[in-house]
Amino acid sequence: MWHITKREIYDNLNSLRFALTTVLLLALMVTNAVRHLREHPKRVQRYQSAVTESLNHLTDRADDSLYKLAQYGPGNFYKKPSPLHFCANGGEPVLPDTVEVDEPIVFGTIGTDDSYEEKVVLHGIWTLSYPDASLQNKDVGPDVSQVDWAFIIGYILSLIALLFTFDAFSGEREHGTLRLMLANAIPRHTVLIGKFLGALVSVSIPFILAVLVNLLLISTANTVHLTAEAWGRLGIIFLLALLYTSLFLALGLLVSTRVQRSAVSLMILLLTWVTFVVFMPSTLAAIASSFSPARSFDEFWQQRNPAQEDLWDKYGNRLWSEESDEETLRAKSGFYTEKVERSERWREERLKYRASQVHRAHAITSISPATLLQHLIEAFAGTGFERHLQFVENTQRYARQFREFIVDTDRGDPKSLHIIGVREGMSQKPVNPAAVPRFEDTLSLSKDFNARAIEILLLALFVVVLLSGAYLAFVRAEI
Amino acid sequence: MLFTLIRRELLDNLMTFRFAAAVFITLLLVVANTVVLLKDYEQRLTAYNTATQESHQRLHEQQTYSYYIRKLTAHRAPNPLSIFNLGLDKRVGNKITVYHAFVPTIWDAEKHGADNPFLNLFTSIDIASIFQAVLSLLALIFAYDALAGERERGTLRLVLTHPVQRGYILFAKYISAMLCLLVPLLISLLLSIILLTTSPVISLNTAEFLRIGGIVLTSLLYLSLFYLIGLCISAMTRRTSTALMLCMFVWGFLVLVYPNLILTAVETTPKPEAYISDHQQIKQMWEEWERERKQFLRNDSVLGPLSQNGEGWGFKLEGVEYTFGPREDKPSRLLYFYQTGFHAGKIGVESEPQVPLVQDYYGFYNRGTLNTVNKTWLVRKPALEAIYIQPATLGRMLLKFSPVGLYDAATEAWAGTDLKGIQDFFNAVQRYRHAVLDYFDDEKIFESRQWFAADQGTADWDALPQFSFQRSGIDINAKRALPDLFLLLTINLILFTIIFLIFIKSEV
Repeated sequence: MWHITKREIYDNLNSLRFALTTVLLLALMVTNAVRHLREHPKRVQRYQSAVTESLNHLTDRADDSLYKLAQYGPGNFYKKPSPLHFCANGGEPVLPDTVEVDEPIVFGTIGTDDSYEEKVVLHGIWTLSYPDASLQNKDVGPDVSQVDWAFIIGYILSLIALLFTFDAFSGEREHGTLRLMLANAIPRHTVLIGKFLGALVSVSIPFILAVLVNLLLISTANTVHLTAEAWGRLGIIFLLALLYTSLFLALGLLVSTRVQRSAVSLMILLLTWVTFVVFMPSTLAAIASSFSPARSFDEFWQQRNPAQEDLWDKYGNRLWSEESDEETLRAKSGFYTEKVERSERWREERLKYRASQVHRAHAITSISPATLLQHLIEAFAGTGFERHLQFVENTQRYARQFREFIVDTDRGDPKSLHIIGVREGMSQKPVNPAAVPRFEDTLSLSKDFNARAIEILLLALFVVVLLSGAYLAFVRAEI
Repeated sequence: MLFTLIRRELLDNLMTFRFAAAVFITLLLVVANTVVLLKDYEQRLTAYNTATQESHQRLHEQQTYSYYIRKLTAHRAPNPLSIFNLGLDKRVGNKITVYHAFVPTIWDAEKHGADNPFLNLFTSIDIASIFQAVLSLLALIFAYDALAGERERGTLRLVLTHPVQRGYILFAKYISAMLCLLVPLLISLLLSIILLTTSPVISLNTAEFLRIGGIVLTSLLYLSLFYLIGLCISAMTRRTSTALMLCMFVWGFLVLVYPNLILTAVETTPKPEAYISDHQQIKQMWEEWERERKQFLRNDSVLGPLSQNGEGWGFKLEGVEYTFGPREDKPSRLLYFYQTGFHAGKIGVESEPQVPLVQDYYGFYNRGTLNTVNKTWLVRKPALEAIYIQPATLGRMLLKFSPVGLYDAATEAWAGTDLKGIQDFFNAVQRYRHAVLDYFDDEKIFESRQWFAADQGTADWDALPQFSFQRSGIDINAKRALPDLFLLLTINLILFTIIFLIFIKSEV
């Protein structure tokens, strides 16, 4: 078998396609690295200045009083840019990169006569909100799809894998060398595996070379810092790339054994490639996502209103009282908390509905290995839609933590009435900003891996099925 | 003789599996994408209609003329031909407010909302990009073995034993392959046009059919170009497998690698930071005007106290309901302005004597603002040009070194979704702003009582000039597409000559 593998590798190494593949992959990977090195620092800088600003808000509020902190909440949250953005940009421009903390809504009546004095004003408390991505792109320049690893592996490497195998058997059959080889006492499966390994090695060599150059460029630049975990993630992505390549190699071998002529084999493979790699991830996903119609803002808004009206009925009379007895304060606090709870729940539902539309499309297109790979790389690169949902989840968890912190700290002040959200009912003491919990947008590799294990298995299953298909076809083929 | 040759080649091509596959792939992609793009277009059109209605309604609810600030809006309808080439149609804003405090440009426009913006993750490819990527690949696959294959099989020698000129053979091959490639191109386009006409919201007129004709013509030249590249490779190589590999990699380079490579090598992202001094200059002009305004008020013994010497947003008159002070400070697009004013439902009797003075003041203020805007526009226009238009043009020009870029630019121009087509709209908005301001001038709206008060007659919105935008005529589209079309044609001719020379001189 090693003999055959070696023969295949030598055969390929000297071929034109090997040289061209190397040049093509190198060019793409260098482009990718240069672009990342140019754009990543900007992203990080934007993120850091935004985070500093929101931290300043938090510090100011904490320095003022616990009430102010409870009223205005922490500053906005920002999604941490992934250092592995070059692996998959994951539709980042159309995804929002922030979850906002809405300023408290102020309800009240303001005097209209000559004195512009405030009469009764209700100062609510902060709410989480999920703004849409700002699509205010001012650039009117040409729009070129950005080359990331997911593109290079998903599109280019798969095509190259097909080009390396489409004539593996049909070509040899045409030349007559296959008969010659099988005339020797070599079992057929050995030939198949030898061919497979040979092709895998010859595709991997240019790919590894390009990846190494890419990583060398990125890791030696001091603007991008890759941690040990990031390297682990890169390792997984690399292995996934090999698995994905094997899939297309197996496909190529399968078709090549079944078809007599290389030209036909090439056409069948291209047809399959276009369907699974070009058509499915974009067009089919777009069709699938429209199976359930998008609900407009108005529809959601109508859902929201009854719940809000209830609240006014429930607390209405007490709210406008100017007294500060405990009962009024409790009513106000109850009103604020419930109002925030309800509007947050409403917003979350809206987000979930939108996400479910995307998930459905993802599920349907998972029959294409190209989409599987795209999602896997996004997951391990820490970009894309799932990552966005994770970020949202992180902010929700933090919001709960933050609210608990407010209640706990308030409990520590003996002067306070422990009525959250109302000025008269809460501690007026400043809080040490360092004691306030900090928002951390964390990702865990093991969690990502567990969540994605099924998809990896599915990809592996594709490879096994195709390889055994190729084996069966080859064993029965007449030469 | 030529006819026999063409027939032979045609039969040779039509009966193959690759022809069936090519038709199938193109049909699948074009039809499925048309469905998606059509749906997307319908959604954008609905958003446009709702937005137009809403802003019409919002404007008509208002009673004083100064409410037109931020409420008079021009909307850009989606282009039905964006299904063929999306271009900038979806990327650029489609909602822009029109008033005297700034000159509206592409960069000031906003976008209509979408029901689920996450669905932008699944961008489907427009028809031009399908042809660009897939049909070009098919053209190369039709070409790679045209000469090398016959040479390998020995049939070329056989054909040449007959008294046929080599040029004829080449020509026959070219014609028949192009006919074969035309089949998937035309059938798929026909199907997508049928789909378009079944949609209730799209009605295509003659000019639009002519534009689609232009797109077909461009596609044809583009396909022929790729076929000739393949033929050239086929004529130069001895073996089909070598020809195939070369074709595939030439395709990969032209379609996938080059556009990315060149735009990475030459950075064309806009850099507004470099023009921050211009923004400062604009800001200074406005501040100067603001000082002048305050000076005017301070010198006025009646209006001075009423407006807190210009520090307030409006005037302290009896019956003032609402004051406003819109301010924009956007260094990235050199936009800066500051407006103050007030609205009143009914002005009290005590304040009545001051009203003519306030009217005079607004006449002075609004004209002064207009002057300032015109002055800043002289700075802003060239700076915006340098920040955004120049790099964009440079990027497009660099892309044109690959036929892909030429094709994209030409089809965009035909569809009217190119930068110039979009600019047409914003030029129309600027003209509309002039028309509105002229109307205000003629009717003396700026110094009218209705500018701020609604008690003696309200604003008559129906008399205001209406905004309408007609896409440029077919002749202008053609003029914009022709240079690229001509370049494509020239490259075709050059390639054909090269192939001819190679083939004539080659040994069989």
